[in-house]
Amino acid sequence: MKKIIFIYLTFINLAYGYNYDSLLLKAQASIFPKVMLLDKKIKDKLVDSNIVYTIVYDKSDYDTALFIRDSINKKYKGYFGQYVYKINLVEFSNLSKETQASAIYILNSDKNIKKAANIAKEKGIISFSYDTDNLRQGLLFSLILEKSMVLYLNKDNLYTQKVDFVSSLLQIVKFVDKKNI
Amino acid sequence: MKNNKVKSLSSKIILSIVLVSLLIITTILTIFEKINKEAFYNIETEKVHIIAKTIEPLIALNIYLGLDDKINQLTTQLIKNPNILAVKVLIGNTVINEVKSKEYENNLEDSFIVKDTIFEPNSKKEMGFLILIYSSKNYQELLHKYTLFITALLIFLGVLFLVLGLYIKRLLSPLGEIATLLKNYSPDKEMEIPFIKSNNEIGLISGALTNMQESILKYSKQQQNINNYLEEEVSKKTAELVKQLYTNALTGLPNRLSLLNKIKNDDKGALLIINIDDFKEINDFYGHEVGDGILIEFSLRLQKMYNQNQNILLKHLSGDEFALFFIQKPSMEELMQIAKKLVNAVEKMIFFHENNEVSIRITIGGSYQIKGALEKADIALKSAKKKRKSYLIYDEKSNVEKLYKENMEWVRKLKKAMEQDKIVPYFQAIFDNQSNKIVSCECLIRLIDDEDNVIVPYKFLSIAKKSRLYSKLTKIMIEKSCRYFEHLDFDFSVNLSVEDILDLETVDYIKYNIKKYNVSNHIIFEILESEGIENYQEVSTFIDEMKTLGCRTAIDDFGSGYSNFEHLLKLNVDYIKIDGTLIKNLDTDKNAQVVVETIVEFARKLNIATIAEFVHSEAVLKKVKEFRVDRTQGFFLSEPQRQILLELHDKKTRQNSMDV
Repeated sequence: MKKIIFIYLTFINLAYGYNYDSLLLKAQASIFPKVMLLDKKIKDKLVDSNIVYTIVYDKSDYDTALFIRDSINKKYKGYFGQYVYKINLVEFSNLSKETQASAIYILNSDKNIKKAANIAKEKGIISFSYDTDNLRQGLLFSLILEKSMVLYLNKDNLYTQKVDFVSSLLQIVKFVDKKNI
Repeated sequence: MKNNKVKSLSSKIILSIVLVSLLIITTILTIFEKINKEAFYNIETEKVHIIAKTIEPLIALNIYLGLDDKINQLTTQLIKNPNILAVKVLIGNTVINEVKSKEYENNLEDSFIVKDTIFEPNSKKEMGFLILIYSSKNYQELLHKYTLFITALLIFLGVLFLVLGLYIKRLLSPLGEIATLLKNYSPDKEMEIPFIKSNNEIGLISGALTNMQESILKYSKQQQNINNYLEEEVSKKTAELVKQLYTNALTGLPNRLSLLNKIKNDDKGALLIINIDDFKEINDFYGHEVGDGILIEFSLRLQKMYNQNQNILLKHLSGDEFALFFIQKPSMEELMQIAKKLVNAVEKMIFFHENNEVSIRITIGGSYQIKGALEKADIALKSAKKKRKSYLIYDEKSNVEKLYKENMEWVRKLKKAMEQDKIVPYFQAIFDNQSNKIVSCECLIRLIDDEDNVIVPYKFLSIAKKSRLYSKLTKIMIEKSCRYFEHLDFDFSVNLSVEDILDLETVDYIKYNIKKYNVSNHIIFEILESEGIENYQEVSTFIDEMKTLGCRTAIDDFGSGYSNFEHLLKLNVDYIKIDGTLIKNLDTDKNAQVVVETIVEFARKLNIATIAEFVHSEAVLKKVKEFRVDRTQGFFLSEPQRQILLELHDKKTRQNSMDV
């Protein structure tokens, strides 16, 4: 079944949307919520005492967003640590400052990355990017699979947002800035 | 002399410093070692803990994020540290990562194991454990370096103390040299004390010793002079004292001690003791100064008499006593001739004092035997005086010594008897010649000896007088007799001597006992007349005093002494006891009969009752009654008895029946 979905997504993406690595998607689905919880100010970002993990996508990537949501649910089964979470799927076009979100996960988009990054900054929430390239647009985290998993952190945006990560996180991430992305 | 091994002061100082220092250093080092070892251990373990604490958050984050390969990277990186031998990461009891170095197996025993808890990032939830096995190589190296340092320090201190000790020993060595030198010090010889020029304490000591030596030398010389002077003075004084010891201070003649020495060291000589008769009277009359003058003059004349005779040594024994000691024993005749001549010569001597002529007489006692010569001559002298002879030589056959010994024995017996309460009254009845009834009894003294023999008074009474025990005996008799007759309605008589009457203490004692036992109406004092009553006034006073108390008196042994009828009148006595010597032969002695008749006649005229004692036979009793003597006492009628009452009762009964 996993193989069918993978082939399907590959096909769909080839036909209609961006091309996503399902393994990377799964890895990000697994790690990004945990990274979010490493923020010491996570409580400030709760929505009605819940964590709202918002996945922002292009209309063509809706299935990918669902895939991510399913992967998260499968992994976390309704709780990020001690917090109940909700996964909110929002298209780029619908994304605004009023969109409920404790953190946002941004899939690929040609035009809207900057907008999403700015909204995340304005809201003071953590932003995760599928693609590390998007970090230059102002998103905070991304993750790639190399020999091992490498977590990227946009150094330029670290202090512009209202986040305070455990210090050890900063020791394992790979910092990027506008110059070396 | 006890050979004490000298213990070096410097060695003691050094030893003390070394011991104390070693003790302090050892203590400090032991404490330091313990502290440092612990500190080194803590440093090493702290290092491991720091490593663990440093790496733990990263491992925790990687576990949290599930980045297992990152964990492995971290542990692999850790193991590159040559001191970390192995790293283990456990979640629960499951080892999720373990890395070991090559040295791990070899160094397992010499390692620290630090276990650190891994907590979930951003919470205190326990996730697992990080175990670091750390090599103790550094720790061992530190210890090794520390031990080397301590050893070096100890060696250095040892050498330092050794050098210090040697230096102190060297500094103090002059003291030893000075002490060795001073061992042979003598005040007689001067010695040069070394190190006097040293500019330190040793120099000061040497200087002080030199000064002290000079002072001692000076003092020693002075002391020597004083000693010589004192020795001379002591010799002179000793000679003087020896001379004084053997010389009479007044006449300068050899004294009694000199004579005793002579007698002791001689076995052939003879002795005459010369005593000036009544010299006390000369002293009392002319004074001691004149007496001394006469003694000096007398000694000079004696010296003059005998200084040509080498065989005779003149001695001055005491005040009025001189002696002639014969070195070679003369014949008895010669000795007596010398004594006689001397007596005659002295009788012709006249001593002058302020136009008065003073004559003296001497008595000489001599001993022909040298053994006990002084005592024997003394006895002979006393005997001569007693016999009123001008000289007497001790007669070995006279047994005077034995008599003296017996007298002393009697004194001892008397004292013992008094102590043991063995002086007791015996009672002899006195009968009325008209009624033939017992009218009174005389209390007679008796001594009970150790064998319970009853001793009559003539054996000890004269000795008691000489030894001043007489008044004590009188007191005993007074007390016991009064006590005996306290509750008897009967007359009794006790004997008193004139000596007793003259003794106020005895008189007071008599009065006290008369009152105490209430016997004044029964007691009759028999005053002895045998030695002659000279102090009539005192006796008369006593008799009057006793009469006022209700007592009666009798003159005892009347007719034996120089009875003075005129005085007798004044004495106002109640009874006259005619002397036994007149009574005992009354039946045959015509003279006695005349005397007794006269006495009885005289007494009757004065209304004085007469008592005849020593009545020992019926013939005498018959004569006594014939001469109208009022009362009779004697063995013929009754002997003295210990218990008078039964005797009295019996006699009374017997007499009553006879009368009937």
